[in-house]
Amino acid sequence: METEIWLTILGLGVASYAIRLGGFLLALRLPRTGPWARGMDALPGCLIMSLVALMMLKAGPLEQVASLFVLLIAVKTRNLPISMIAGMIFVAGARLMGF
Amino acid sequence: MSQDDISPIAEILLGARDMLPMTLAASTYGIAFGLLATQSGFSLLQILSMSAFVYGGSAQLVALDQLVAGAGVGAAVLAGAALNMRVLLITASMRDAMVGRPWWQVLMGVYLATDASIALMQTGKSRRALSSYWYLFGGGTSLLIAWIFTTSIGGILSKGIPDPTRFGLDFALVAVFVAMLPGLWRGRADILPWIVAGGTVLTFATMFPAQSSWALILGAVLGGVTAGVVRGD
Repeated sequence: METEIWLTILGLGVASYAIRLGGFLLALRLPRTGPWARGMDALPGCLIMSLVALMMLKAGPLEQVASLFVLLIAVKTRNLPISMIAGMIFVAGARLMGF
Repeated sequence: MSQDDISPIAEILLGARDMLPMTLAASTYGIAFGLLATQSGFSLLQILSMSAFVYGGSAQLVALDQLVAGAGVGAAVLAGAALNMRVLLITASMRDAMVGRPWWQVLMGVYLATDASIALMQTGKSRRALSSYWYLFGGGTSLLIAWIFTTSIGGILSKGIPDPTRFGLDFALVAVFVAMLPGLWRGRADILPWIVAGGTVLTFATMFPAQSSWALILGAVLGGVTAGVVRGD
């Protein structure tokens, strides 16, 4: 197990770095206007949207309701820390009340 | 050099400050990872090394899971790398901050890229300052330090930590990503790409629950393709 763990750390470390560098090198070769640029500009939003969709699929009803609450706060305040803390208080409070 | 050039140190500090909500969210995750890793037979040095070299919470967790399940080194690396494939899309969107920089800065900059970098670029934009290299560097470095520190703390404590669900801490990570959405929204042109991205993930991940990391990448890429093909206004 000892050797296996070290090999995994090394392998995944190298793979992760290659992925990181690869993304930048790939972006250098893409045109800066037209369909490619439009796609690249939309990518961050689509990626976080995908992450959230996956999280919602795995979340329970309480977390789903709380997420909706966080979204509303975030739309209103446009403030990341406030929205996040409001969500945590919501979840902690709901659990305290036995949900 | 642009005329509103502020010193790199000031940008680094600003980046670290704007990263704080993500740092808090990642820290709760980091402690959880440290706990699990110790229970799975990782030494403190191994936890520390993994957090420093891989620097990706979900990838580390999946690799750990595969190792514990006895799937072997190859499967563990492959699963972790699959989950980290999305970082390719993140460093791609960091292009503007890094292009034209000396090579050692580029090598350092891509190493610090995580999901949180997207939130940071967004915050930088809303400050009407371009999310510059040193701004992203400050945010990324502070997150990396917190990540190494908290995963190690989790590994050392391993027992006797109060239940994080009592304080809603387990929800911090979900909350941070949900709260990022309004800032990423660029208007009506985003409707279709976002529906495609979310819909693809929900469909694919429901059909193939074991392949959720690929669902993520597929969703993001198809969303991007939609935005590229469909002309927004």
